Amino acid sequence: MKRPFKKILVANRGEIAVRVMRTCREMGIRTVAIYSDPDRASLHVRYAGEAYRVGPAPSRESYLRIDKIVEIARASGAEAVHPGYGFLSENPDFARALEEAGLVLIGPPAESMEAMGEKTRARRQMIAAGVPVVPGTEDPIEDEAQALEYARSIGFPVMLKAAAGGGGKGMRKVDTEEAFPSAWRGARREAASSFSDDRVYIEKFLDKPRHVEIQVLADAHGTVIHLGERECSVQRRHQKVIEETPSPIVDAEMRARMGEVARQAARAVGYVGAGTVEFLVDADRNFYFLEMNTRLQVEHPITEMVNDGVDLVRHQILIAGGEKLSLQQEEIAPRGHAIEARIYAEDPDRNFMPTPGAITYIRQPGGPGIRVDSGVYSGWTVPMYYDPMIAKLCARGPDRETAIARLDRALSEYLIAGITTNIGWLRRVLAQPQFVSGDYDTGFLDQAQEAIAASMKGGKEEVALIAAAIASYDRQRRLAVRSTFSPSEHSGSKWKLLGRLRTLGRGV
Amino acid sequence: MRFTATHGEATHEIDVTFDGERYTVTLDGQKHEVDALLLEGNIWSLLIDGKSYEVDVEGEEEVTVRVRGRVHRFRILDERRMRMRMASGAFSAEGKQVVRAPMPGKVVKILVREGDSVEAEQGVVVVEAMKMENELRAPKAGTVKSIAVEEGALVEGQAALVVIE
Repeated sequence: MKRPFKKILVANRGEIAVRVMRTCREMGIRTVAIYSDPDRASLHVRYAGEAYRVGPAPSRESYLRIDKIVEIARASGAEAVHPGYGFLSENPDFARALEEAGLVLIGPPAESMEAMGEKTRARRQMIAAGVPVVPGTEDPIEDEAQALEYARSIGFPVMLKAAAGGGGKGMRKVDTEEAFPSAWRGARREAASSFSDDRVYIEKFLDKPRHVEIQVLADAHGTVIHLGERECSVQRRHQKVIEETPSPIVDAEMRARMGEVARQAARAVGYVGAGTVEFLVDADRNFYFLEMNTRLQVEHPITEMVNDGVDLVRHQILIAGGEKLSLQQEEIAPRGHAIEARIYAEDPDRNFMPTPGAITYIRQPGGPGIRVDSGVYSGWTVPMYYDPMIAKLCARGPDRETAIARLDRALSEYLIAGITTNIGWLRRVLAQPQFVSGDYDTGFLDQAQEAIAASMKGGKEEVALIAAAIASYDRQRRLAVRSTFSPSEHSGSKWKLLGRLRTLGRGV
Repeated sequence: MRFTATHGEATHEIDVTFDGERYTVTLDGQKHEVDALLLEGNIWSLLIDGKSYEVDVEGEEEVTVRVRGRVHRFRILDERRMRMRMASGAFSAEGKQVVRAPMPGKVVKILVREGDSVEAEQGVVVVEAMKMENELRAPKAGTVKSIAVEEGALVEGQAALVVIE
């Protein structure tokens, strides 16, 4: 087996750090983890061959510390660094710092990140490369009156977007002229606080837009291939919740056209590694370039599942080692259907408030066609400092209906105690008629919100009441039993205590 | 042993007896035979009239119960404590209520002003934590007595934000 590196540092945490290290283990590559103080007991630290403290809880002082990460990589003897997603994964300064230190970044060149990182510059470059983009301003607009005039000229509704943005921050939909001024100021304020850059540009808002993205792989020798699309229109506040492939609206012909455009986009910026080209698709199935994510995506497993188990992380590592891509476009033929649900430590009943805390018990689902990428275990405390996504659950089947049924079945098996999660809510989303039909767009969760909330009500309330009463009864009875033992006997022999409790018909 | 469970306006009477092996539970007049096993991690395996459930019960009086992907929250008291509570009058969300930050974060928006009257469950303040914005709601209907923070302020977990009376 090819092994371009002997040791890799993974500059991330949680499920994605574990995901990357799994491939490293398969390839016989040793792994180095970094951790912040609250992550000392995290799964990625336990899984890694070596682990070093990078700083205190706040990301800014730990997982975003370029200098410390470079220092740890050098001291540990790692030759390459995998950034995962989020944190420093799309930061060109990180790419340059690694290069200066003689380390290899498992990702694209800093120049590609920069070209795609600034959204208006990326748009210009895509237009020049002949890639279709959503109608909008080529440059950010400074003046509010000018911006309003432009919005009028393309017609409402419009989207305001941060030039330096991504991930839904600084993004506003504006339906009417009256709503424009406050939205304009809000978007600029949010852009400034999220990206230290308040420049905003305007795009035409597409009717019933769908969010479809194409996975690409590019080596350093000029080969660029695509591995089909992922449908990511199930979003809550611009955050993806459920992704599937193939998209219900993409056929072979459209896939080939989108794939070709994605390859063109990657070539235009000299892309190397695994990347994702995001498109908006309108109601007439016209597609427009939205942005390119210059890293591994959260939802990459569903692409792996329908492409004969191709391992995107393995290809990333081989490409970073200078290897030529062993895959050819003609060989790529996705089969079956795969779907992913993101498991969050959050409470859908309480406005999706994060629910950090101790996981007292966890039972992962299994069985046919199931893949779990998890970053947690029984007894671990979900820290309050980071993104509340704790796992990804994926299902594959020969067709869409089977894949959805499997995902629902696996969600019903997934038992996480101690903290509230969105698992029950995800099952209600899967059951929505609009989702089942496949005819949904990015407005789906907003429209279905109330129907989903209503279907969350009721359920097995009588079971909950019986359980609570038995738990209270049991607690009081055990307290009563304990108080009948003398302290010496209690502390003297737990086995004796256990025996006596057992004769009373009750475990400890 | 008799229990009373309440959530909102609804009240349920639950009677529990245990014969050393099985429970007999009478819920609102309906009798059930229950085989209950407490397993690792506080999970109960319940066989209620033969139907199998896995249930996670947390808390003592204010309980959170998770069953088949749904979360139920209520207050459950045994008869003796119930009488004590009734006598002391400290039963419902009466008197002064403090809306607290559930975790460290940043106050993004304050949705009410001092002196405003609010409905129960009405949003009063938005706190950003774990990269998410969370709307905190009034625990009861009343008047906003005081607001302890300003928009943009960083707050610790459990910090008092808004007082409603």
